[in-house]
Amino acid sequence: MSNKALRNLFAFGSLGFFVIFVILTIDTMGKLDKRAPEITEEVNLGKKVWHKYDCIGCHTILGNGSYFAPDMTKISEKKPKEYLKQFLMDPKSVNPKASMPKFGITSQEADHLIAFLEWISKVDTNGWPPKPLLAQAVAVTGAELSPGQRLYQQLNCSACHMLNGIGGTTGPDLTHVGSRRDRTWILGHFKDPKAYVPNSAMPSYGHLSEKELNELTDFMISLK
Amino acid sequence: MTVKYESQKIAQNFFTFAVLLFLVQVAVGIIAALQFIWPDFFILNFNIIRSLHINALVVWLLVGLMGATYYVVPEESETELWSIPLARFQFWATVVTVTLVVLGYIWMGINPQANSTSLFGTGILNEGREYIEAPRWADILIALSVIIFLINNFMTVMKTKKWTGIQGTLLAGLTFLALMYIPGMFYTKSMVKDQFWWWWVVHLWVEGAWEVIAGALLAFMLMKTLNAQRHVVERWMYVEVALVLFTGILGTGHHYYWIGTPPYWLWIGGIFSSLEPIPLLVMVWDAFRTTREYRTVTNKVGLFYAVAHAIFNFVGAGLWGVIHTLPQVNKWTHGTQITTAHGHLAFYGAYVLLVLSMIYVTLPVIRGVREFSGSRAYQAFWWMTISMIFIVLTITGAGMVQTYMERLMGLDYVAVKTNYNLWFWIFRAIFGVGFLIGVAIFVIDYFRLGKEPLKIGTPEAVKITG
Ligand code: HEC
Ligand code: HEC
Ligand code: HEM
Ligand code: HEM
Ligand SMILES: [Fe+2]
Repeated sequence: MSNKALRNLFAFGSLGFFVIFVILTIDTMGKLDKRAPEITEEVNLGKKVWHKYDCIGCHTILGNGSYFAPDMTKISEKKPKEYLKQFLMDPKSVNPKASMPKFGITSQEADHLIAFLEWISKVDTNGWPPKPLLAQAVAVTGAELSPGQRLYQQLNCSACHMLNGIGGTTGPDLTHVGSRRDRTWILGHFKDPKAYVPNSAMPSYGHLSEKELNELTDFMISLK
Repeated sequence: MTVKYESQKIAQNFFTFAVLLFLVQVAVGIIAALQFIWPDFFILNFNIIRSLHINALVVWLLVGLMGATYYVVPEESETELWSIPLARFQFWATVVTVTLVVLGYIWMGINPQANSTSLFGTGILNEGREYIEAPRWADILIALSVIIFLINNFMTVMKTKKWTGIQGTLLAGLTFLALMYIPGMFYTKSMVKDQFWWWWVVHLWVEGAWEVIAGALLAFMLMKTLNAQRHVVERWMYVEVALVLFTGILGTGHHYYWIGTPPYWLWIGGIFSSLEPIPLLVMVWDAFRTTREYRTVTNKVGLFYAVAHAIFNFVGAGLWGVIHTLPQVNKWTHGTQITTAHGHLAFYGAYVLLVLSMIYVTLPVIRGVREFSGSRAYQAFWWMTISMIFIVLTITGAGMVQTYMERLMGLDYVAVKTNYNLWFWIFRAIFGVGFLIGVAIFVIDYFRLGKEPLKIGTPEAVKITG
C-alpha cells in the first residue's frame, strides 16, 4: 500500500471507529437511568459535597479514584447512617486511630453525602465488587458456632470490629475484649453505648431480646 | 549544527518549564509515598499532594509536547513559526494559569472550606475529579492557551502548505487531544455519567491522542537521529497510529465494566483493549529495525532515549495494561494497587521517556552544540529506569497482596493497607528517592548541556552530525 493509501486508511478508519463509539455512547446514555435509582436533589447536593472536599483524592468510588482509602461504592450497605454521619463530621471521634482528616463537614453536608452514598450503592454495577470467594467458602464450613458467635456473624459486627485478625478497623479490636471489660459493662454497653462511652459511634443493640444480648455477652467474655 | 529556523528555539522555554515541573512532581510523589506510612506526615493532606503529583505530571508532559511541536512543525513545514510573540504569550499564559491552580490547591489544603462552589456549579479551587481537578475557570484558560497553540502551528503549515506525514499526524493527534478535553468540562448530576465522560478524557488521551502524538514523534526522532528515509518511517507510523485508534477507541470499554454501564461493554472493552498492545509492539519493532538498517547515528543519546521510550511504552502500557484488562481479571483487580503499578510504568515509558527523548534530540541543535558528554544522560536514565522498575515491582506486589487478601479473602481494606502492605510502602519510598536522584541528574544535565567545555577523549562524547 502507498503511504497515501495508508494515511487515508488511518484517517477514515479512525473516524469510523469513533462513529461506532459515539453510537454506543448514545445507546448507553439511554440505558443508564434505568440502571440506577432516581437522582433526587439531595443526591445531587451530596455529589457536590463529594467534589467540594475532593473525596476522590483519597478514595475510589465505583473503583475509580485514589487507592489511599477504602472504596465508597457499597459503604452505605456496610455501615449504619448514624455511624457514617459521625465519622464524616469527625473521624477521630469514632476511631482515635483514624487517618481521615476532619474537614469541617457540616451536619447538612453529611446528610447529603449519605444520600449520595446510598444512591451509588444501588447502581447496577454488573456485580462489582464481587463477594470474596474464600470468605464465602469459610462461612459454609463454619458449622460449629456458639449462639453468640452466630449472632456476631448475623449482625455483621465484623464490619467495624477485628477479631483474630479478621474484620474492620474502625471500632476497637475485640480479640481480647473479655479481659478488658466485665459482664455488666458489656451488657449495658450493648443496650446504650453512649451511656458508657460518651460520643460512642457504635449502634445500640437495645432492640435485641435479653436472651440474645446475653448470648452475645457470653461470647464477648470468652474472648480473653 | 544549529536550528534551521530561529523560531524553533522557542521550544526551549517550554522544555525548561517542563523539566522544573518534573522535579516538583517527583518530589511531591515521595511525600505521597511517605503518607502511606505516616498519613499525617505533611501539612497538606494526601489528596492535595496526590493532585499536585498527577497534575504536575500531566501539565509538564503537555508543556513538553508543546515545546516539541514548536520545534517539529517549522522544521517540517520549512519555514519560521507563524508568530513568535503569540507563542511567547501562550507560554506565559500557561505558566501563570498553572501557578494559580497550584496556589489554589495549596490554599484548599490549608482550608478545605475555601473550595466553595463557583458560578459553574463546581469548586472554585478544585473540581474534585481525578486528573481534571483544575477548576473550570482554569479549564477555560488552558483550553484558550491550547487553541492559540494550535492556531499558531496550523498557520505555520499554511504558510508553505508543505504537509508532511509526521507533522500532519502530530497536529491531528494534538487536535484530537484538545477536543477530548471538552467531555470533562460539564457537570452531570449522575456519578455514573460523570465517570463515563471522565474516561473519554483520560482514556482517549493516554490511549488515543497521546499515543498518536508518540507515533509521530517517534518517526521524527528515528528520521533525525538515523537519517532514516522519510517515506519508510512514515509508512510504519501510519500503521502504528491507525492500529492505536482502531483498538484504543473502543478499548475505552475496559473502563465501562463496573461503573453502572450496560454489560455489552464487557465484550467490547475486553476484546478491543486486549489488542491495544499490538501497535505498541510494532513501535518497538520499528525502532529496532530502523536502528539496524541505518548504522550512522547522528545523536546517540537521543536515539537511546527514543528506543527506550518505545520499549517501555510497550512494557508499561501494553504488558502491564493487558494483564488486568480482561473483565474476568479486572473484576478482582479493579481499583487496587495493580492499577497504580500500571499507571506508573505506562506514563513513565510512554510519555516521560518520550518528552525526555525529544529534549535530547532537539536541545543540542537548539543550543548549537557540536559535541556533548552523554555521561549524565545515561546516568540519569539508569537511575530513573531501574528505580521505576523497582517501584513498579513493589507496587505490583502490593496489588497482588491486596487483591488476594481484600478481594478474595474478604479482609478489611485498612487492615491490609496498614499491616500486610506496610513493607511495600517502605520500599516504594526508598526507590522513589532513587528516582529523584535520577531526575536531579537529568535536570542538571538539561541546564548544563552544551555549556561546559568537553574534555578531550571523553568516552561518552556524543557527536551531533547530519
Ligand atoms: C486525606 C485522605 C482522605 C480524604 C480526602 C477523605 N477520606 Fe475518607 N477515609 C480516609 C481514610 C484513610 C479512611 C480509612 C479509615 C481511617 O484510617 O480514617 C477513610 C474512611 C472513610 C469512611 C469510613 C469507612 C469505614 O469503613 O468506616 C468514610 C465513610 C469516608 N472515608 C468518606 C469520605 C468522604 C465522603 C470524603 C469526602 C468528603 C472523604 N472520605 C475524604 C481518607 C480520606
Ligand atoms: C458501625 C460500627 C459498629 C458496629 C456494627 C458494631 N460496633 Fe462495637 N463498637 C464500635 C465503636 C466505634 C466502638 C468504640 C466506642 C465504644 O466503645 O462505644 C465499639 C465498641 C465496642 C465494644 C467495647 C470494646 C472496648 O474494648 O471498649 C464492644 C464489646 C463491641 N463494640 C461489640 C460489638 C458487637 C458484639 C457488635 C455486633 C453486635 C458491634 N460491636 C457492632 C462500632 C461498631
Ligand atoms: C500509554 C498508555 C497508557 C497509560 C499512560 C495508561 C495509564 C493508566 C492509568 C494512569 C490508569 C489509572 C487511572 C485511574 O487513576 O483511575 C489506567 C488504568 C487502566 N489501564 Fe492504562 N494506560 C495506558 C495504556 C493501557 C493499555 C494499552 C491497556 C490495556 C491493554 C491499559 C489498561 C488499563 C486498565 C484495564 C485500567 C483500569 C484499571 C482498573 O480497573 O482499576 N492501559 N491506565
Ligand atoms: C515519572 C515518574 C512518575 C510518574 C509518571 C507517576 C505517575 C503517577 C500517576 C499517573 C498516578 C496516579 C494514578 C495511579 O495511582 O495509578 C500516581 C500516583 C502516585 N504516585 Fe506517582 N509517578 C511517578 C513517580 C513517582 C514517585 C517517584 C513516587 C514516590 C515513590 C510516586 C508516588 C506516587 C503515589 C504514592 C501515588 C498515589 C497512588 C495511590 O493512590 O495509591 N510517584 N503517580
Ligand atoms: Fe484505558
